[in-house]
Amino acid sequence: MANDTKVFEPGEPLSTARPVAVSWKAAGHRLVVDRLARRLVTLGGVAIIGSIFAILFVIASEVYPLFKKPTASLVQTVSTGFAAAPLGVGVDEYREIAYLVGPSGIRFHRVTDGSPFPEMALLGLGTARVVSTSPLGRGPFALGLSDGRVIPVEVKFNVAFQEGRRTITPDLAAGDPFMADPAGRPIQRLAYAVTKAGPLTAAVVGPKDIVLVTVKETKALIGPATKEEARETLAVPVEGEISAVALDGRGEDLFVGASSGQVVRVDLRDPAAPKVDEPVLLTSRTGVGLTVLGFLIGDRTLVVGDAAGAVRSFQLLQSDGGQRRLTKIYDFAPHVAPVVAFAPSRRDKGFVTADATGATHLQYGTTGELLIAIQAEGQKPAALSFAPKADGLLLADGGGGLSHWLVNNPHPEATLKSLFGRIWYEGYNAPEYVWQSTGGTDDFEAKFSLAPLIYGTLKGTLYALFFAVPIALCGALYASQFMHPTLKGVLKPTVEIMAALPSVVLGFLAGLWLAPQVEKVVPGLFLTPFVIPLMILLAVFGWRFVPAAFRRRVRPGTEVALLVPIALLGGWLSFLLGGVVERLFLSGDYRGWLLSMLGLTYDQRNSLVVGIAMGFAVIPIIFTIAEDSLSNVPQHLVAGSLALGATRWQTALRVVFPTASPGIFSAIMIGFGRAVGETMIVLMATGNTPVMDWSIFNGFRALSANIAVELPEAPVGGTLFRVLFLAALLLFVMTFIVNTAAEMVRLRLRRKYRYL
Amino acid sequence: MTRFWRSGEPFIWLTGGAQALSLIMVAGLILLVMANGLGFFWPSDIVGLTLTDGKMVMGQVTQRERIPQPGALPGTADRYRIQVKVGNRDLYGADFVWVEEAKIAKRQTPRDAILIERREWGNLYGVIKEVKEAGSPVAQGPQAGWLALQARVPDATHVAKEIVRIEKKEIGAINYAQEQIRLRLKKLELREITSGPEVDRLKQEMATWQAKYKDQEAALARLNQSQTASVVISAPGDKEKELPLTQVVRAYRPNTMGVLAKTGFYLAKVWEFVSDDPRESNTEGGVFPAIFGTVMMVMIMSLVVTPLGVLAAFYLREYARQGPFVSAVRIAVNNLAGVPSIVFGVFGVGFFIYFVGGTIDRTFFPEALPTPTFGTGGILWASLTLALLTVPVVIVATEEGLAAIPGGMREASLALGATKFETTWRVVLPALMPSILTGLILAMARAAGEVAPLMITGVVKLAPSLPLDGFWPFFHLERKFMHLGFHIYDVGFQSPNVDAARPMVFTTAILLLLVVLVLNLTAILIRNRMRKQYAGSAF
Repeated sequence: MANDTKVFEPGEPLSTARPVAVSWKAAGHRLVVDRLARRLVTLGGVAIIGSIFAILFVIASEVYPLFKKPTASLVQTVSTGFAAAPLGVGVDEYREIAYLVGPSGIRFHRVTDGSPFPEMALLGLGTARVVSTSPLGRGPFALGLSDGRVIPVEVKFNVAFQEGRRTITPDLAAGDPFMADPAGRPIQRLAYAVTKAGPLTAAVVGPKDIVLVTVKETKALIGPATKEEARETLAVPVEGEISAVALDGRGEDLFVGASSGQVVRVDLRDPAAPKVDEPVLLTSRTGVGLTVLGFLIGDRTLVVGDAAGAVRSFQLLQSDGGQRRLTKIYDFAPHVAPVVAFAPSRRDKGFVTADATGATHLQYGTTGELLIAIQAEGQKPAALSFAPKADGLLLADGGGGLSHWLVNNPHPEATLKSLFGRIWYEGYNAPEYVWQSTGGTDDFEAKFSLAPLIYGTLKGTLYALFFAVPIALCGALYASQFMHPTLKGVLKPTVEIMAALPSVVLGFLAGLWLAPQVEKVVPGLFLTPFVIPLMILLAVFGWRFVPAAFRRRVRPGTEVALLVPIALLGGWLSFLLGGVVERLFLSGDYRGWLLSMLGLTYDQRNSLVVGIAMGFAVIPIIFTIAEDSLSNVPQHLVAGSLALGATRWQTALRVVFPTASPGIFSAIMIGFGRAVGETMIVLMATGNTPVMDWSIFNGFRALSANIAVELPEAPVGGTLFRVLFLAALLLFVMTFIVNTAAEMVRLRLRRKYRYL
Repeated sequence: MTRFWRSGEPFIWLTGGAQALSLIMVAGLILLVMANGLGFFWPSDIVGLTLTDGKMVMGQVTQRERIPQPGALPGTADRYRIQVKVGNRDLYGADFVWVEEAKIAKRQTPRDAILIERREWGNLYGVIKEVKEAGSPVAQGPQAGWLALQARVPDATHVAKEIVRIEKKEIGAINYAQEQIRLRLKKLELREITSGPEVDRLKQEMATWQAKYKDQEAALARLNQSQTASVVISAPGDKEKELPLTQVVRAYRPNTMGVLAKTGFYLAKVWEFVSDDPRESNTEGGVFPAIFGTVMMVMIMSLVVTPLGVLAAFYLREYARQGPFVSAVRIAVNNLAGVPSIVFGVFGVGFFIYFVGGTIDRTFFPEALPTPTFGTGGILWASLTLALLTVPVVIVATEEGLAAIPGGMREASLALGATKFETTWRVVLPALMPSILTGLILAMARAAGEVAPLMITGVVKLAPSLPLDGFWPFFHLERKFMHLGFHIYDVGFQSPNVDAARPMVFTTAILLLLVVLVLNLTAILIRNRMRKQYAGSAF
C-alpha cells in the first residue's frame, strides 16, 4: 500500500477547507461599529444619569432667585437746578421723567440729564407759594399754599409708541383751588384722599389745628354739577406740635403725629362728626418726636418714623371690646439719625425711608425685614420716590441734586421667614401661617407660607399610612408565610393591578362616590376595625366545630377564600351597628355630636376619605416590597424554628418578621414617599383648604395638589411661580431622601440574607 | 381556650383577613365603576309620575335612596326617595328632581313619551304635540307626529352634519391658510420687506381665500334655510317647546322598545361615545378627542422612552464598569421612579416649555410672538415629561431581562469571534425583546393613567383641533390636547352640572381602567411566559 501520508510543505494550509478571507478592512469596519455602539450606549446612559441631575438643577435654578439678595445701584446723580429743597418728588413708570414739587408749583425734569421740561404754570396759584404737599404717587394729590388755599392736582404721563420708540409726555391737571383756612394761615402739612363721596382734605394750619374740608359733588341730570364744601376745624389734643399727618385712601382714618411722639387717630367715617381718639405714644421712647407717618399700599399698615431713627409699623386691629386699636407689628432696622422721608412702593408692601445723613433703607412691611441699605451722596435728602414698578428710587436732596437708583428686588415677599414661619399679615390679630397666593385687588398682600401645605401633605400621608400599613403588612405576612402557592400566583398580579389603578380614577371615586357614602356611615366605619377582626376570630373558633371531613377538604393556605364573605359580613354588620350606636349614644346625629362634644366640624371631603383612597394607592406598594423581603428570608431559618417545635405563627412573628424588618421598614418608607407625592387623589378628595388642624373630619391642601392647581395660573418668573417650584423642590428632596434611605436599607438586607 | 390562642391560628386567620380585605377593595372598586358606568347608555323606561299634590313628573329614574331621619325614634319606618332625570334644562332650570316615594300617587310608563337628545340644553322629555314644516303643522298628536318625525330626522341630521363639516373642515381650512399667510407676511415684515412681488402675491392669495370664505358662508346660509321642519313637544307642567329638527341628535321612545331594540341602541350609544366629539361642555356626546390625545401622547412618549431606557440599561449592566458609581446611579434610577409625578410636571414646565420651547419660539417663530408656539404647554412637552417619568420603568425591566439572559449565550457568541456590539445586536437584543416590551407596556400603562404632570404641561378640557390633521406638516406637536384622565377630573370636578356629568365620568373611567388594565395584564402575561421560557431552557 502506498503511503498516503501527506507531507506538509511549509506555508501550506493545514486543512483542505478554504480559509475564510478576513480582510483587515472588513474587520476594521466591524471594530469601528463596535466602538461607535459603545460610545452611543455610554452616551445614552450618561444622558439618563444627567437628566436626573438636570431635574434637580432646573428646579433649583428657578427657585434660586427667590433667595438672591436684592441689590441697588446708583445710575447717576443729576442737577435739576432746584434752589430750594423740593417738597416732594415723583416719577413715571419707565423712570424717564421726574416731577418735583417746589414753591412755584410742579416742574418736570428728565431723569437722565436733569434738563427741565417747559414749565406748566399752576393756574390759580397767584402770588402765593406752595408750602406743602400731600403724599405723591397715589393718583390725585393736593398742594397747600401759603395763603391758606389748597389746589388739587393730578400728574399724568401719556405714553405713545411710534415706530418702535417710546415717547412720554407729562401732563398736569389742576383743579379749582379752594380755601382751607379762612384765616389765611399757610398750610403746613396736608393730607388728601379722593373717596367715593368726594375729595377729603386735612390741612394742618396751626401747631394743634387741623381743618377738614369735604367736598361733595352732586351731579344733577341737567345743568352743571354743584359742589358743596363743608369745613370743620379740629383742635387735636396732643402734646407738642403736629409734625406729621396721614390719611388713608378710603377717607376713614386720619392719623396725626406730634413732636412729642404722640399720635391721635381721628375717625372720619362720619365726616360731619369726626371722632378724636385718645393720643397714644408710638415712638420708641417718650420725648422722641415723630417725624414721618405714612401708609403702605392698601392703606392698612401705618409706618411711623421718629427723630431717634426708629421705624415701626402699626395696624388698626379689632380688640376684644370691638374697638379698633393701633397695634405694633414690626420694629424695622433703625436709622442712626432722624427719619426725614418716606415713600411706599405701589406694587407690594415695601417702602423706603431716608434719614438726615442720607442713609436710605428699603424695607418690607410683610416680613419686617431690611432689604437694602444704601448711602445717598450729596446733601441731606428732602424727598424720596419709589418708582411705580418698584424697580427704582429717586432721591431729591436740598441742593437740587436728583439721584436715580436702580433697584433689583423681584421677590421681596419671599424670605425663609415668610415661607416657613409665622407672619403677621394685614388684618390678622396675630402672626399666623397662611397660604393665600392671589387676591382680588391690586393691593392684596400675598401670603406664601408653605407651612400649611407641608402640614397638609404630612396629614394626608399619615392618615393614608394608618389605613394602609396594617392591611398591607398583615397581608404580606400572610401571603409570604401561609398562603397556598397557587393562590399566590393569582394574588400577586391582582396586587400589581391595584398598583396600576390610575390615581385620577381613585380620586374621582373618592370625591364623588366615597365621600357622600362615608358621610352616611361614619360611626359604622369607625366600628369596622373592631367588628371585622371579631367576626374572623368567631369564624376561627367556629371552624373547629365544623366536621373534620369537610375541614380536610379546605387546604391550608386557602383560608382567604372563606374569609372574603366573612369580612363582607363583618363590614355589613358594623354599618348596621353604627346606626344603632349613633341612635343610642350619639343622639342620632353624629355630626351634631362631634360639634357639640368635641368641637369638630365635618367636611364631606375630608382626611378620612383621602386616607382610604390613598390607602388604595399605597397598599400595593407596601405589600409588594414587604412581601418580597418576607419571602426572601432564608428557608433554613424557618425550617429550623419549626423543627424546634415553634408553631407557624411563632415562627412567622419571632423569626421571619424580625429578620425581614429592615425590608418592612423600607416598604413603609417607599409607601410614605408615594403618599407624599400623590396629587390627583388629594386634589379631588379634599376641599383643598389650607387649614392647619389634625382633625380627621377636615380637609387639607397638600403641596402637590397646590402645584397642580396654581402653576397654570402663575405668571412666569413671578414670586408665586418660584414658590411653587420651591414646593416641587421640597417634594423632590423629601422623597429622594426617604427613597434613598429605603433603598440603602434594602441593599444591606440583601447582603445580610446572602450571609445567613 | 388557651390552646386555641397559643396555636396562633387565630392570628394567621386575622392576617388572612387583611389579605381578604384588600382583595375585596380591588374587586369592589372595579365592580363599582362598572355598575355605575355600564348602565348609562341603556335606554331605561320613561316614567310618568303623578304626585299626591297633582303635579306631574316625567323622566328616567336614576337612583333610589333612604331618606336620613336624624333624631327619629327607633322603629320608625324607613322612607325612600327616587331621583328622576327630567331633563328639559331650558324649561325647568335643573335636570334632576328628587321625589319622595310616599308622595307618588300614580306611576305609569306612557307609550307616547319621547326622549330627544339635543345638540344644546341636554335631553328633552315629553309628548309630541305636532310636527311642523316651515311653520305649518304637518302631523298632529303623538303617533302621527312620531312617524312624521322619524321620516324627517335623518334628513335634518344630514344637514346638521353638513353644517358642522363646513364650519370645521372648509372654514377651518380657510382660517388655517389665512393664518399661515398672515404669519408669512409678518415674517417678511420682520426682515423689513413690506412691499415687492412676494408680498403682493401673499396679499393676492389672502384675497382669494377671503372670497372662498364668502362662498362657504353663503353655502352655510343656504343649508340653514333648507331645513325648516320642527317638532313641538309638550312637557309636564304645561310647558311647550318647539325644537328645530337640526337640533335633534336622536329621538326615541324607550317605552316602546324591546330588549333587542334597546341592545342595538346601547351599542350605537357606545359607538357614539368612543367616536364622537363631546357636547355640552363635555358632559354629553363622546370622548373621541380625549382617546386620540391619550393614544398619540403615549405613542410619542414610547418613541422617546424605549431607546433611552434600553440604552441606559445596557450601559448600566453591559458597558459601565461595575462599582460604587454604577450602584449609586442604579439607586438614583430607582429613586427617580419614586419621585412624585407632579415634580416631573414642574420640571417639564421649567425646562421643556419655558427654556427649550421659549428658545425655539425666539429662533424659529419670531413672527408669531408674543403668542407662543412651542413656549406653551403642548403634546410634545407632555410626552417628553412623561417619557422622563416612565424611563425608570423601562430601565428596570430591561435590566431584569439582561440579568436573566444566561452569560453562556454571550460568551458563546464572543468565542465565535463576534464583537461586543454584534453579540448585543444579534444575540442579546432578540432574547431581550420580551423584557423591553414588558417595560414599554408598563410605561405606557403608567403614562395613560397619569394626569397630574399633564395638567401643567399641555392638557386642556376642550382642544379646538386634534394634534394630527390634514394640514402640513400633519403632526402639530405644539398643540394642546385632551386626555382621558384629565377628562375625568375636569368633567367630574370642574363641570357646572355635576349630577348630569357623573355617568359620563364613570363611563370614561371604565374606558381608562380598561386601557390600563389591558396593558398591565399584557405585560404580566409576557413576563410570565418569558420566565417560563428561561426556566425551561437548557442554558
